[in-house]
Amino acid sequence: MIEQATIVCVVCPVSCAVLVEFEGDGIIKTDHNQCKLALDYVTDELFDPRRTLTTSLPVDGGKAPLVSVKTAQGLPKDDVLSAMQSLSGIHVTAPVHIGDVIVEDVLGTGIHLVATRNVEAA
Amino acid sequence: MTNIRQVDVAVIGGGPAGMAAAAAARDAGAGSVVLIERDSELGGVLNQCIHDGFGTKIFKEALTGPEYAAIYAERVREGGIELLMETTVLELTEERILTVLSENGMESIEAGAVVLAMGCRERPRGAIGIPGSRPAGVYTAGAVQNYMNLRNLAVGRKVMILGSGDIGLIMARRLTLEGAEVVGVAEILPYPSGLARNVVQCLEDFNIPLHLNTTVSEIHGTERVEGVTLAKISGMDAIPGTEWHVDCDTLMLSVGLIPENELSRQAGVEIDPVTAGPIVDDAFQTHSPGVFACGNVLQVHDIVDYATMEAEIAGTSAAAYIAEGTLPDADIKITAGDGLRYVLPSQVSGLDAVNFTMRVTKPDQDRAIVFSSGGKVIRKLKQQALSPASMARVRLGKARFSNTREIHVEVAD
Repeated sequence: MIEQATIVCVVCPVSCAVLVEFEGDGIIKTDHNQCKLALDYVTDELFDPRRTLTTSLPVDGGKAPLVSVKTAQGLPKDDVLSAMQSLSGIHVTAPVHIGDVIVEDVLGTGIHLVATRNVEAA
Repeated sequence: MTNIRQVDVAVIGGGPAGMAAAAAARDAGAGSVVLIERDSELGGVLNQCIHDGFGTKIFKEALTGPEYAAIYAERVREGGIELLMETTVLELTEERILTVLSENGMESIEAGAVVLAMGCRERPRGAIGIPGSRPAGVYTAGAVQNYMNLRNLAVGRKVMILGSGDIGLIMARRLTLEGAEVVGVAEILPYPSGLARNVVQCLEDFNIPLHLNTTVSEIHGTERVEGVTLAKISGMDAIPGTEWHVDCDTLMLSVGLIPENELSRQAGVEIDPVTAGPIVDDAFQTHSPGVFACGNVLQVHDIVDYATMEAEIAGTSAAAYIAEGTLPDADIKITAGDGLRYVLPSQVSGLDAVNFTMRVTKPDQDRAIVFSSGGKVIRKLKQQALSPASMARVRLGKARFSNTREIHVEVAD
């Protein structure tokens, strides 16, 4: 079955509202995009949209109450909210440094959650 | 008064601009550099910007704010820079004498050159005059960001947002992830003020409605916000009969940033009414010799990389001013014409290539940014899209400045 979707390309400030026609996991054609860069973006956004999750977690025994964290790669977009829920209740013990792995293999995606700031022990 | 201490370069503000300026001044040979920061940590607003997207121009990757800040904090700490933390500059005189206050008391510092890098502040409720009662629960987006990301404090459960600036959009996502309900974003303009990426990834991803041509016409509640009235607008006025009510316990404002130039004014630095920042030349020197400005105190940036780049020039120029006692005249005038709010710098020496930064007045497509001198076009850059949300940046090589006294820049076909 041929389907249609409109996806706003965010590669550049033009922000084309790209009209996509696709069947299964193949794009048939795109319209309303001013350049070819939209193709890769629209393909990812349609078939495997990903988002880097950034948030913060409480720190025990640190100079600051929170440490900021991020997923080292983009998570599947639909997993973002459940990933957030899976982090509920996790505490980090100071000291913690940029790049330290805080949670391995978030939701079985194989993607790690890493610290993005340094919090020294109090 | 106590003894006045002498330093070569004093940098006011330890955010991204101040850190880069101090490191650049040291690297360019300034003997003594002092970096003054009122917080207990370097990094400024980057510390609370825990989302990613910083560094895409300089490092070609999307770092988070704290990661970006850490790179420059490390450069500052390599040596040769005296850090005055938890220290506030109370006064800056035209003679470049700073009065600073910390736990150790007051101190006077006479600087050979000063780099202004104080950043900006958010426009608060009072500045936009929303009618209604004055309950608790009205916050600026940056304040919410600070509470949530640095102090682990929740501001409310049901949040309405006024203004679609990037920080507001980023915080809509952040509030949603932390379990609050964001009931909507109202934007007075017919287009979003923030970048398309943020509209898609912060609002559309979470089905948060964006109401364009809409404002908050009244705030309800006595002790705490209980709701707001939204209304469609025409020009700047609410259209009678278009009002609707939204229940919420929090109103978050993301309605613009204002460069923080109280010290600059005190020191007699000339301010551009359009940018609300100092008037500078291509060395980022203000009209007060030996006083330089960079970062958000100069012009509000949407990308930190550009603030860093101009700060590096400002720091290097400050060191050159110390070494030479003066800098080359910047006597080529740059003027902003049709379609542009401003072009910066507004004066250049013509001795080096210059990266001009500018903001357009309205969204536009398939136009060009045109530089001309004496009626002759010297550079024309086609632009598929122009947006007030994105600062435009155009480089002119040194050769373009030969035999010219004045360059006019405009948006044209």
